[in-house]
Amino acid sequence: MSAHPPDSDEALAGRLRTELPRYAAPAHVRVALVEGTLPRARPAWLAPVLASAATVLVLGLVFLSLVPRIVPADPVERLVRSVVAEHTRALMWGARHPEVVPTALPWLTQESGIGLRRVFVGDDRLGFVGAEPVYLEGHRGIALHYRDGDGHLLTYIVLPIAGLPVPDRRRVQIEQGTNRWRPALMHDSGFSAWVWRQGDLACFLVSDMVSDVDVERFKDYFVRVRVSTDPVPAY
Amino acid sequence: MASDDFHRAALEHLDALYNFAMYLTRNPPEADDLVQETYLRAFRFSHRFQPGTHLRAWLFQILRNTFLTFYRLRERESALAEDGVPTWDVPMFHDAPEESSGAVEAHTDLERALRRLPEEFRTVLLLAEVEGMALEDVARVLACPVGTVKSRIFRAKERLRGLLRDYTKE
Repeated sequence: MSAHPPDSDEALAGRLRTELPRYAAPAHVRVALVEGTLPRARPAWLAPVLASAATVLVLGLVFLSLVPRIVPADPVERLVRSVVAEHTRALMWGARHPEVVPTALPWLTQESGIGLRRVFVGDDRLGFVGAEPVYLEGHRGIALHYRDGDGHLLTYIVLPIAGLPVPDRRRVQIEQGTNRWRPALMHDSGFSAWVWRQGDLACFLVSDMVSDVDVERFKDYFVRVRVSTDPVPAY
Repeated sequence: MASDDFHRAALEHLDALYNFAMYLTRNPPEADDLVQETYLRAFRFSHRFQPGTHLRAWLFQILRNTFLTFYRLRERESALAEDGVPTWDVPMFHDAPEESSGAVEAHTDLERALRRLPEEFRTVLLLAEVEGMALEDVARVLACPVGTVKSRIFRAKERLRGLLRDYTKE
């Protein structure tokens, strides 16, 4: 029996405490709040496993740089790869020391070991960009850069390599009037390269023109460079 | 207090907050939303909580403020929608509106009477009598002096007694 009158404050307070139903939070609200706010406990083994995997990955990356690169066994293909790499560098960064021939010829000859008795300095189709000495596969040489009206960069490289074995099965016959040449058309890393011998020199003309239509134009560029340039060993 | 510790301590009051939300909204989905919004705000502004003070009172304060913000806004919008003119004189101590669809049915005369009380009276009874909160904490939740809390408790009980007497006569 209650000690307070039924209408008293105390009795009313007691009724509020005991008679009112209490509503507990539904499970989905609890789950949503717990999962949304508290971090889930991670398995004890997860941290060391992740650390080990990260260590292996880092070591792998370190040793990857020490693994020797797979280089073509064929010396011509190896040279083409180097020539293409030089062309790519020029494409991305420009020539290291672009010089305007013929004023720079003495310096270029001295630096490259290649003399140019005649040189193609551009025409209405190809504009001369610059010339610079290069060092590829242990050989000093010279590189001349041109750009056509469509923005294609062409790199003409001459290296003092006697008796370069130009692969016969890649040779393409190009004729102009009474002139006829049979350079090899080679490809590397998405670039095309004409490869030919000129006396005791190895010559390369590189561009990104690889489609059939482009190759026809590339032939024309080869002719323009070939007939107008006469490189010779300087020493 | 570290973030995880704060979250765990706050979640210990989930049931009490949900119960309070149910009596404020009388609607389970709205109570769900209100509680989740309360915790969202509490976690977002946990850096403002002063360790050593009552976390329980702080959470109840956030819940009530959230309720008032959203529900007063809703009432004003509905008042505007009816005649196209904003009703700026919304009474502070208005009686609770009739139950809307989806509301939980009251089981007893006491519960029914409590629901009829204005929010300020209902809240003060729920905090002081049902949750057993100290008057100082209730004052903090309501952002008013302790004297005002005492006065509201007195008036709330008077209104509640009157409503209960009406139910008895019926």
